[in-house]
Amino acid sequence: MSAARNNDAMIGKSSPWATWLVGAVAFLWIIPIVGIIVTSIRPLNEISLGWWNVEQFTLTLDAWRTVWDKYPLAYAFWVSVKISVISTLIPMIFAPMAAYAFHFLQFRFRRVMLIIVINAFVLPSQVVVIPLFVLWRKLGLIDNIWAVIIPFAGMSFAWAVYLVKSYLDDFPRELIEAAQVDGCGPIARFFYIVLPNSLTPIAAVGILQFLWTWNGLLLPVVYLREELPLTALLARIQGVYDRNWDQVAVAAIVTTVVPLIIFIVFQRYFTAGASTRSGSKE
Amino acid sequence: MKSTRYRFAKTVLAGTVLSAAAGMANASALSGDLVMINWLGGAQGEMMQKLEDDFVAKNPDVNFRNIVPQATGDARGGIRQVILGGEQADLLINTWPAFRQELVDADLLLPVDDVWQENGLDEVLSGAWRDLSVIDGSNYGVTYTFGDRSGIWYRTDTLEKAGISAEPETWDEFKATFAPLLENDITPMSVPAKVWAHAEWFESLLIRVAGVETATKLANHEIPWTDDAVKTALRKWQELLQANCCDEPNTMLATDWDNSVDAALKTGDSAYVLMGMWLNTRANQEYGETPGEDYTIMQFPALGMGHDDTSMVDAKELNLLSTVKNKEAATAFMVYLLSADATAIMTEYGLASPSANADTSLYDPVIAKSVEEVSNAKSLQFVLGDLLPGDLGGEYRVQLQKFLQDPSDETIDAVTAALEKVAADAYP
Amino acid sequence: MAMSTSTDAGAADLPRVAQDPANARVSALLASAARRTPMGDTPAAWLLLLPLLLFFLVSVVYPLIETIRLSFYDIRGLGKPTYVGLQNYFKLFSDDNFTTAMIATVKWTLTSTFVSVAIGWMLAMLCSLSPGRTLPFRVMIFAAYGVSEAVSGFMWLGIYRPDVGLLNALLGSVGLDAWQNPWLGDPSTALWAVIAAYVWTQVGLPLMTCFASIQAIPKNLFEAAYVDGAKPYSMLRHIVMPLSLPGVRVAIFINLLSSLKAFDLIFILTSGGPVRSTETVGYFMYRESMQNFKLGYGAASTVILLLGVLLVSIPVIIKRTEAAR
Repeated sequence: MSAARNNDAMIGKSSPWATWLVGAVAFLWIIPIVGIIVTSIRPLNEISLGWWNVEQFTLTLDAWRTVWDKYPLAYAFWVSVKISVISTLIPMIFAPMAAYAFHFLQFRFRRVMLIIVINAFVLPSQVVVIPLFVLWRKLGLIDNIWAVIIPFAGMSFAWAVYLVKSYLDDFPRELIEAAQVDGCGPIARFFYIVLPNSLTPIAAVGILQFLWTWNGLLLPVVYLREELPLTALLARIQGVYDRNWDQVAVAAIVTTVVPLIIFIVFQRYFTAGASTRSGSKE
Repeated sequence: MKSTRYRFAKTVLAGTVLSAAAGMANASALSGDLVMINWLGGAQGEMMQKLEDDFVAKNPDVNFRNIVPQATGDARGGIRQVILGGEQADLLINTWPAFRQELVDADLLLPVDDVWQENGLDEVLSGAWRDLSVIDGSNYGVTYTFGDRSGIWYRTDTLEKAGISAEPETWDEFKATFAPLLENDITPMSVPAKVWAHAEWFESLLIRVAGVETATKLANHEIPWTDDAVKTALRKWQELLQANCCDEPNTMLATDWDNSVDAALKTGDSAYVLMGMWLNTRANQEYGETPGEDYTIMQFPALGMGHDDTSMVDAKELNLLSTVKNKEAATAFMVYLLSADATAIMTEYGLASPSANADTSLYDPVIAKSVEEVSNAKSLQFVLGDLLPGDLGGEYRVQLQKFLQDPSDETIDAVTAALEKVAADAYP
Repeated sequence: MAMSTSTDAGAADLPRVAQDPANARVSALLASAARRTPMGDTPAAWLLLLPLLLFFLVSVVYPLIETIRLSFYDIRGLGKPTYVGLQNYFKLFSDDNFTTAMIATVKWTLTSTFVSVAIGWMLAMLCSLSPGRTLPFRVMIFAAYGVSEAVSGFMWLGIYRPDVGLLNALLGSVGLDAWQNPWLGDPSTALWAVIAAYVWTQVGLPLMTCFASIQAIPKNLFEAAYVDGAKPYSMLRHIVMPLSLPGVRVAIFINLLSSLKAFDLIFILTSGGPVRSTETVGYFMYRESMQNFKLGYGAASTVILLLGVLLVSIPVIIKRTEAAR
């Protein structure tokens, strides 16, 4: 991997001790995740005393089979994909626009609006649920994925704008000014100068927003009926009176895998910037 | 004054199996959507699904739809969201009498007296079960399942190991079992005090110390929490704690009901656990144990204070919402849940039915025993924690945690005073 | 000299914009576009903000106004709301549970954010020493961030269990029996135990954002420093740490504000107990609005939380937005 080679040379030589240290931490870190996996493949009566308990040790795919048989996973997966992808693309496109406006343009109410937008991040979804529920009912949006996408996207701007704007702090203003001298208007400056140079924060917004919308539970459960995403469907596994943690673990694995893949794919953009840079150094 | 009657005088289950299908006469042309707010998950959710499927099989033109509210934590939160959001539904599954009262006060429930009459439910549910859901003289629900909450669960081999040959029946006998249990490294009582389950001991003690009337008055705040009845019940519990019944306070506070049940019914690290009938499903299906053989249930010990013929129960009912659109199908489903077919499905899942149509011979020994205890009790008390209005219910559990941390006379005074303070503000 | 596509390109890279043939073409195009539609900052800004505003009005402003309105009402369950003016607010300030919750919230947010960001930042710097080889480790640590709070809660429940918990078992196996503790039942340790579990879920974020920031540092800075004979430590101290600050800031911001909202983990691990020792304002809001369904009272506590955050964030945001343009 060329990025790796280039970067390993970053501080003169790569440091094996650092890799070992991070590796040790990482292995410590996944102990609970190993727990989830082990929980999903052992019978419930064995793991009720802890998944690490090896007095008896049986492997079984019962929980996986039960979850697969009982829940229409494929359709829910498709709904989840639709919801997450749309709710992720919206802030990926619009948050950089807003961040750019807040950061580089002069207009009235700039700060007031910025403060309001950013503070909205504290707003808990419990607060949003009931007023929007009433609104969606009036508009006939119940059981329509947009009932979930709109608030998912709307609430994401708070942190997404902050995130992109924070990276813009170190954006070379000269680049903007040069474009301005060339007669480039404020909107064109965004699309041709700022946007192509903001892939790192945009990738970060994408990863985080995808993860959060994918795992989002409250809004889908309340607003959707038949069009249920994976999390909402799997939340039903956990009963009020019984604790079938083996199936809950299966649900957790099924839902966590996708955001992880997204992370692995998108995180390349973090190193992409660096490799292009050293790559062009001929 | 609210004449809510949570208490009900007895002769519950002795009902005769008369005209079982009295209500099925009009099972002709039901159709359309039937919408139920259904928050049951896990095994009980499966059971309800099976009941719905069976109902639809019998009434193929009915389109049964569930509204599943958000279920994290207290299901009432999700149900209120659904209702406030203006969702139309016909039926609601309810297990909290205080919540039924709240719904009635907000004009969200319809009385079902007419359903009761048209379908001859008096024959199927004895008067005590009807009284359970009566508010201000009108009946607002049909109880479809109930459970003993004064039953103490234990593994038979645990008592054997400690050389205890007979179930302790009296308070002193019960306490006398602690010493041999402790000698065998067995904690006598597993009290999961993390969230709510520690209140079970207090509640059964309260009705056996002071009777069901007193508990009802307390629930309606007609007597203060500083009443002697409350303090006496806490002092009884203090006796148990002084006899080393339990783990360290902090261990109790760290233990949730499931781990506690593991300790009593799976590993045998502790002997007794006081909890509802859902343990039967857990022990039977999850631990793979045989009810009546590996584990069983005994009634709360007799205190000899004149109220030993009482029992704590819980129940689930169906309410008819005022947003009902398909009343025919809704009432038909209510009646169906009391039918022999429905009760047979419930029995499969280890639940007891109050219906006279239920075939009690299908019950496993543990359900049978608990049903018998409930039938033998002269008066029944609904779980107190579920009768208290919102804030008080939470405060009640927190104050009992404080009691467990330091079960002294001073704490008893402080805890009851603190509860009285919150209660003063909690009732409308 | 390198043309940078990074956000953090050095000033020295700039002249290339005009020289780069592609960019030159773009500039020419843009210039003609700009001549056709000369647009000032203000209309452009509003145009760029328009999508955000539309989403925002519906999903944030409207519910927010509703929340403020509700906070003036006394609502008990499904009963009819009665207007009570500021009474909910007066009640909040005399509610001991709310005061306790505020103190717990300060401990909770500050500790969890500081520890998560510190660990994440350090790991990010270590990872940047060999990004390729540490990718699997980054994925492993980030995985915890992808697990829902509820499921993490369940895993940590097993770790902290007093009877057969993993932590007590480990302590016992290394002879530290005296340290064994019912972690979640002891009011003096419960909050810290929940924080530790929360930190576990959160470190992935600062690791990701800080790592991204470090990767965006132009390589020539390191090369220049290396040529100058700088030691790895001093490069870390003088180049990596200051230049990864954007990632650190973002991580602090997101971790801080998410920790204010954290609920599921606390709910599963302790349900606010024992004796309310782990009840944060986020949990308080849940308990009042969802459990007790005193929507008005819960709304008032939300408004107070928002005001608190506003007070803290305004100076920060003002300071950071002085230099527009």
